[in-house]
Amino acid sequence: MPSNGHNGHAAEAVVLTQAQVQEDLQEKHERSRGQTFRVAVGLFSVLLVLGIIGFILRVVDGVSDTAKWGYYAAAFAFVLSTAGAAPMVAIAPRIAKAHWPRPISRSAELFSIVGLFNLLVFIPLLWVLPPLEQGRRTLWFFGSVGEPVPNYSPHIWATLAMLALVVVGVLLVWMSALPDIAALRDRLPQGTRKQKMYAWLARGWKGTSAQWFMQKHRLGILGAFYFAMLIFLHFLISVDFLMTLVPGWIDALYPATHVANALQGGVASVMLTMVIMRQWGGYKNEIGLDQFWGLGKLLFALSLLWIWFFFSSFIIFWFGKKPNEVSVIELFIKGPYLPIFYAEFVLTFFFPLVFMIWNPIRKSIWGPTILSIAVLAGTFFGRIRMYVASYSVADQSALHAIETVPATVMPGIADVFIVLGVIGGSILTYLLASRIIPIMSIWEKKEMLMYEVHRPLHRIHVRILGKPD
Amino acid sequence: MAELKQTQQRQWGMVIDLDKCTGCQACVVACQSENNIPINEEAHYNQRRAIQWIRVERYWEGEFPDIKARFMPVLCQHCDNAPCEPVCPVYATYHNTEGLNVQVYNRCVGTRFCANNCPYHARFFNFWEPAWPNSLKNQLNPDVTVRSRGIMEKCTFCVQRIARVKRKAKNEGETVNDGDRALSPACVNACPTETLFFGDFKDPNSTVAKMKDKETHGGRGYHLLEEIGTDTNVVYLKKVDKHAEAKEEVHA
Amino acid sequence: MQEHVQLNSKEVNDILLKDVLGMPKWWLPAVLFFLVVFLAGGAAFGYMLNKGVGVTGLNRPVMWGFFMVNFVFWIGISHAGIMISAILRLTQAEWRRPLTRAAEVLTVFSLTSALMAAPLVHVGRPWRAALWVFPYDFERGVWPNVRSAFVWDPSAVMTYLTASTLFVIIALLPDLAIIRDRTTGTAHKVYSLLCLGWRGTPRQWKLQAVAGILLSALVLPVFVSVHSIVSWDFAVQVGVEGWHSTIFAPYFIIGAIHSGVSAVATVMVLMVWLYKWQKILTPDHLDAIGRLLIIVATIWFFAFFLEWVFALYTLEDPELALRELQVFKHPWMALFIVFLITAYFFPVPMWMFKKVRRNMFWMFVTTISVNIGMWLERFLIIVLGLARRQAFTFDWGTYHPSMIEILMVIATFAWVMFGMLVFAKVFPLIPLFDIKEGMVGGPHKIKIGRKEIPASIHE
Repeated sequence: MPSNGHNGHAAEAVVLTQAQVQEDLQEKHERSRGQTFRVAVGLFSVLLVLGIIGFILRVVDGVSDTAKWGYYAAAFAFVLSTAGAAPMVAIAPRIAKAHWPRPISRSAELFSIVGLFNLLVFIPLLWVLPPLEQGRRTLWFFGSVGEPVPNYSPHIWATLAMLALVVVGVLLVWMSALPDIAALRDRLPQGTRKQKMYAWLARGWKGTSAQWFMQKHRLGILGAFYFAMLIFLHFLISVDFLMTLVPGWIDALYPATHVANALQGGVASVMLTMVIMRQWGGYKNEIGLDQFWGLGKLLFALSLLWIWFFFSSFIIFWFGKKPNEVSVIELFIKGPYLPIFYAEFVLTFFFPLVFMIWNPIRKSIWGPTILSIAVLAGTFFGRIRMYVASYSVADQSALHAIETVPATVMPGIADVFIVLGVIGGSILTYLLASRIIPIMSIWEKKEMLMYEVHRPLHRIHVRILGKPD
Repeated sequence: MAELKQTQQRQWGMVIDLDKCTGCQACVVACQSENNIPINEEAHYNQRRAIQWIRVERYWEGEFPDIKARFMPVLCQHCDNAPCEPVCPVYATYHNTEGLNVQVYNRCVGTRFCANNCPYHARFFNFWEPAWPNSLKNQLNPDVTVRSRGIMEKCTFCVQRIARVKRKAKNEGETVNDGDRALSPACVNACPTETLFFGDFKDPNSTVAKMKDKETHGGRGYHLLEEIGTDTNVVYLKKVDKHAEAKEEVHA
Repeated sequence: MQEHVQLNSKEVNDILLKDVLGMPKWWLPAVLFFLVVFLAGGAAFGYMLNKGVGVTGLNRPVMWGFFMVNFVFWIGISHAGIMISAILRLTQAEWRRPLTRAAEVLTVFSLTSALMAAPLVHVGRPWRAALWVFPYDFERGVWPNVRSAFVWDPSAVMTYLTASTLFVIIALLPDLAIIRDRTTGTAHKVYSLLCLGWRGTPRQWKLQAVAGILLSALVLPVFVSVHSIVSWDFAVQVGVEGWHSTIFAPYFIIGAIHSGVSAVATVMVLMVWLYKWQKILTPDHLDAIGRLLIIVATIWFFAFFLEWVFALYTLEDPELALRELQVFKHPWMALFIVFLITAYFFPVPMWMFKKVRRNMFWMFVTTISVNIGMWLERFLIIVLGLARRQAFTFDWGTYHPSMIEILMVIATFAWVMFGMLVFAKVFPLIPLFDIKEGMVGGPHKIKIGRKEIPASIHE
């Protein structure tokens, strides 16, 4: 396969046939991952064990003090936002019928498998958050007009949404991988355990016209449903697991900001996956500037979206100057977490703005990579700022405003372990999943060849891309 | 605002003792004649365009046989953190060095932004050119501008009276005395039950400062719509309800 | 460039310049009609100027009424132009080509309409409105209050107006040159002057393309700022509880795109009906707009939902009173239901059907419906936000627009129609060069099996 768009005249490069693509990518999937992969798996397993130790330390401390669980919640939210939002990189361009994300769509979708791990991380939070009977506010306010809502409504709804997201996400990646799984099934020697597993996973895929027709529709519907579930889950989490803990924090835009931040993190993590696949995964020829450029533009746009959302909220509070708003600004921005806010601001907005505005930086390998590390770190700081601050508010039953802004909660050794463990566990899940499901979508790459025609126009060669209705 | 408060000379303010208010509307009429406010006819009320710099809000409490009327004079609260000030595009309203929220009629273009943003609804718009019957033409106060149509106006704490007293004090080398009737706004002077007190919160010996000090710390004092954080300069003293207290005692 | 499109471009020129060089029969009566309506509004304004703001239905709780609603509405429509031109240009959506000019012109005229609706007529002393925007009293140290959203507002709107006018002019240059070459006499001289010596040299084309892309990128922040600031006119206020919501900026922007793109679809259908341009404006374009609108409308509805949820979440009396007023009190209840149906629940399910999206008549009906709904939305936010039962019973009241206000609102609609028609007479309403650019490079079809699908060129 020619390296896409490296020199702008792709037509002059060799064009592979469908069979060659199939062979090439399958070979790459089956090839032993080698030393690097095993070292990585080992490293992240160690991190996961550290996380478990940290978690045990926390549990020994008890679950009644929410302030101590702020970092845990932040780590959960960070993984939810990055891994949960990453599949959108595959879903959104698929709906827009763009071609450039084809080589990376699978690696984006695979992130939804991480949801399985995150579901485990989510469970202890249900015990950490106080039930409503202690006077905490909730999104499910209608009961408070007449009779009270059941005490665990926030927990129940968030759990259901979390489950639904994970189920839809796993279904999405499974369905999307069906043709590739079928190919692996046919390739492996008959009767081996691996072959049987792939045979089961392939659900009798034969590649008939009817199956392809179903596949297209299924992916569209699952994608749309995944997006809806993602929005809904972020809405529930950002309100019932965050906003309600801070009396007087009434920010209608925050759920949307939470999602925007998540999408930033998702794009950034797909970008990093791309770099790793290119550098160590042997996909140097498949992943090229086109992908970095496309995702770079997306990252840039999302950074601008985030700052706009952030500022829209901020100016209302800052201009309004109601006591509850002043205390919210004090808590999240001006007060105990000011350095973290600066870090977040610089990493998620300022750096992307001043660097990504230049096309040469957007259209390079290293530019978007470095910036996505910055953005990922920035969203991580953002989650810490919001979650740790909110969880440290003592009086959750006050109606109008927090009375005293709590002091900075510094992470203990258990918190560091937990954060490392949650992130390590997520990456480990991803790595293991990529052993089973091909990390590059073979059928989407092959399909691309059908939509592509290379023609000369005057003195240059152009690539004509078909856009189906 | 905090810095401003430290440098400013005075902090004019008012204390309103709701326990004494009978709802007689003398303050309203006094304000009307002092400040050249056009006569509010029935039609103006029906259109809800009547101008009353001070108004007496009336609330009913309880069910019929056991019903009580409650009165509350409301005027511009001269907030230290006034929502009306930052929204005016032309600086027609701003905070002066004596803690007054003042309106500059000449600058006003009439966007009515400030009126919307006033939580106390203390700002009034001149929908029409003001008019008085011929018999009242000579009654207008020469110290107060007649506002033309298309601009906002509101209670000034009778800034013209304050200015006059200060001028006189300066010329004759006297000090401005707390409780001077010439200093007090027309509504305060007109009140037959001494519901309204006017003075300088900055002066620790003034009547209002003492009342505020005593009543806002565990007493009857409160500010209107405190949760908006406007930091007003009018202190209200709660009604003393003997019947309710008696009832509570019986229950206890 | 010319030699490749010689054949096609001739047809394109003939079709698109037919009504610029000639004049359709209905044109003069229509333009006169809209002019008369507009002048009637002008007369109403004169009357108001003479008598005072008292001739409107405004009163003490409802200090902002029809004018402000109309202002927000037209600012919303004006977001169409840049949405279609800048965003779709940057994302290289092919279907935008024939729509860009109409959308940009709509932007320009609706912005002037908005400027008439609010700063000029709604203030108490319009003759001093100019002094509000421009710093005027330097020697006395009086400056405009930059803290006020009403100072951000004119700055953003004026910048937007300038930028979108530039957009129109830059895109017009090649087309003006074509008209110049086809006219004689005075018209020839005028068009020669207007096209700034356009000859179609490679350098000129390059500059024009660069200017277009640069303007697209630069105008986007302005585009976002305009309606954000308009929303902050309301949202920064603590005095009106229903407006003090953080979602307002995104909510207004997406609502503006919703109504603006709908308006472009309406204008497009009108262009096909009036000028018979069905060869250039095909159902494909409507289809694309329809799909875009489904997404936009749904995001808008999500913002609407968030606004409501968090209004109720406050559990504060004035907020609840406002929501009660909007949903349960006659006649607002009826308006609220009409608003919901016309803005979302009628058009969006309709657009789900491909047949509707590709049908001129139904697209016309649904997009008009959206704009009725969006006008009502602004009315329900602005007027009812003020008319809610707030803390002091002294200011409980409602609002009835007066005849004067209604006339002036209608006049702004007439003004936009008038402006569009006059523009279409003097300049081509569809960019000829853009259409031809899209035709460069031969057939845009790719064969896959037995199917042919449209394609776009990538270098």
